[in-house]
Amino acid sequence: MSQTSKENKITLALFYCQNIPESGKQDRQSLEEEYGKSIRLFPIPCSGRLEPLHLLRALEEFADVAYVITCPEGECRYFDGNLRAKKRVQRTREIIESIGLEGERIGIVMNKNSKSLARQAHEIMENITHLRPSPVLSPHRAQQEKGEKRDNC
Amino acid sequence: MITAEQKPIDEIREMIEPYEKILLLGCDSCVAECAAGGEKETAMLASTLRIAAKMEGRDVLIHEKTVDRQCVKDFILPLDDIINQYDAVLSLGCGAGVQAVAEIFSEIPIIPALNTKFIGETRDQGYWVENCIGCGDCMLYYFGGVCPLTRCAKNLLNGPCGGSKDGKCEVDPEVPCAWQLIFERLSAFNALERLEKIYPPKDWSEKQGRGPRKIIREDQQL
Repeated sequence: MSQTSKENKITLALFYCQNIPESGKQDRQSLEEEYGKSIRLFPIPCSGRLEPLHLLRALEEFADVAYVITCPEGECRYFDGNLRAKKRVQRTREIIESIGLEGERIGIVMNKNSKSLARQAHEIMENITHLRPSPVLSPHRAQQEKGEKRDNC
Repeated sequence: MITAEQKPIDEIREMIEPYEKILLLGCDSCVAECAAGGEKETAMLASTLRIAAKMEGRDVLIHEKTVDRQCVKDFILPLDDIINQYDAVLSLGCGAGVQAVAEIFSEIPIIPALNTKFIGETRDQGYWVENCIGCGDCMLYYFGGVCPLTRCAKNLLNGPCGGSKDGKCEVDPEVPCAWQLIFERLSAFNALERLEKIYPPKDWSEKQGRGPRKIIREDQQL
């Protein structure tokens, strides 16, 4: 695949509830064309389907950052799927922080103003631009940085 | 069921640090019900440890497998086919599971990933409560199905302490007074006369003091 204009250095794994607006197959394909390898999209029938393991595996295998987009609070078709997702995201954050990975590599957006998938994805992409590539996926770089820090002490 | 909680990740990492090929062994019985060591939790811990190893640039092999019951020999023995590939096993079983695996595979270190807590029930989603201490001489009949040895903070066998308020324990106001519950249950069955008996102190030799307890049933043996 040729590099697209918005392809950047980090990869986002984006899980999203299929009930959010404009999140059909075509919308997903447009986003994939726009961001290329920088985004991996995972539609799920309800954000309550999301498990901490999904986020962990994404960070372990290919993603620098993993996010989930849910319906607004109180508007889950299955009543409490988004509340479950919120707690699971929090739990996963605690897990990655406990091993020294930045908690902000995992995030949740509760789609307050019923924004489209594309708009949410753009906003998330903007929010994560300050993050460096994950030390999980480029450990040599992380070790180098550690070494530099030690040298500076 | 037996309840357990995962140990702090730093403690687990310290224990597995010397090893390069590790099998995470989950148990799909009690510890799965209390969300500590089932298939899902085993996969999560394996992923977390792999992430941590990658961050350190360490080349560690971490695989995961979950058996139906880690405390039953028949479920452990099939591990014989794969266990030699590993330097150590990190077990997400309860204390009984860890020891059962260690006894069968004595040549490989078996490391506990959980702290075993108590015998209890699932009261609600994500809420487990102790209700049996395994005393070896069950008296639930006399107390309307409520165990005062487990559920009364003072382990009283012959009536309440007098400190309960509005049906709650004075030691922990969140917890119902066991003796209040016993009185209500026996009243509902018209069985309050069971409380007229004075119960002597428990014979704790049934529970401890003679080494590990065992049950032998010849009719169940081959």
